[in-house]
Amino acid sequence: MKPLDEALLRQFLDTLLREGHFRLTYRFLARPAGEARDFENPELLVDFDGEDAPLLLANGGELLRATEHLAHEILRLGSDEHERLVFDCHNRRMLRVDELRTAAELAAQRVLKTGLPYAFGPMSSRERRVIHMALRGTQGIQTGSQGVGPQRHVVIEPLQPARPAARRREIRRL
Amino acid sequence: MQDLITALARLLVSEPDAVRVTASELGRDTLLELTVAPEDVGRIIGRQGRTIRSLRTVLAAASRDSERGCQLEVLDRDES
Repeated sequence: MKPLDEALLRQFLDTLLREGHFRLTYRFLARPAGEARDFENPELLVDFDGEDAPLLLANGGELLRATEHLAHEILRLGSDEHERLVFDCHNRRMLRVDELRTAAELAAQRVLKTGLPYAFGPMSSRERRVIHMALRGTQGIQTGSQGVGPQRHVVIEPLQPARPAARRREIRRL
Repeated sequence: MQDLITALARLLVSEPDAVRVTASELGRDTLLELTVAPEDVGRIIGRQGRTIRSLRTVLAAASRDSERGCQLEVLDRDES
């Protein structure tokens, strides 16, 4: 795997902040080579701060995600390499991972209890992956993705579907 | 805004010298029209339009304090 072109990344970030008049600063947080890479442990984390941080984080981090996507494209990172380079600001991305994990556990408990499948709302591939990974070791359920494009979402299904009678009892109890 | 889009487009494409951005008035907005080499059109638009959408997000944020809105379109060579 080629090393990340940090000079090109700096050129992109400096251009973006200067020409866009964004009052932001950034720092690179590099991780030691050889460690397992995933969203929480990227090769390089670009951490933003500054007066315009709320702008970066508005609408569910829309600008943060847009700039990260442009960086992936400029550095020619394939979709399997996106986890090497992550943009964050005020720890937003990591908090979102915690949030997704909690949601995954609650949903899995519900599926085990009711024997009925549970569908999450549409998510990015990265977020779907967080759910899949969080539930990898959970017994009695399986996770899959359904839908195409922006509608793609995770569904948790019970390995043993509820029997009709149990399902009726469950519905009454709910 | 023209400089911002020009600079970002040049970083994205394989032929930076072919990047042109023209600005014109479109009602109350500024219309930026981006031209790139034919083989770079796909790169600029991206899968499911994600790259052009990201450029528009950056543009909207960058022109937040300006009185005029900014719109971005990619021109196909054949149309111009």
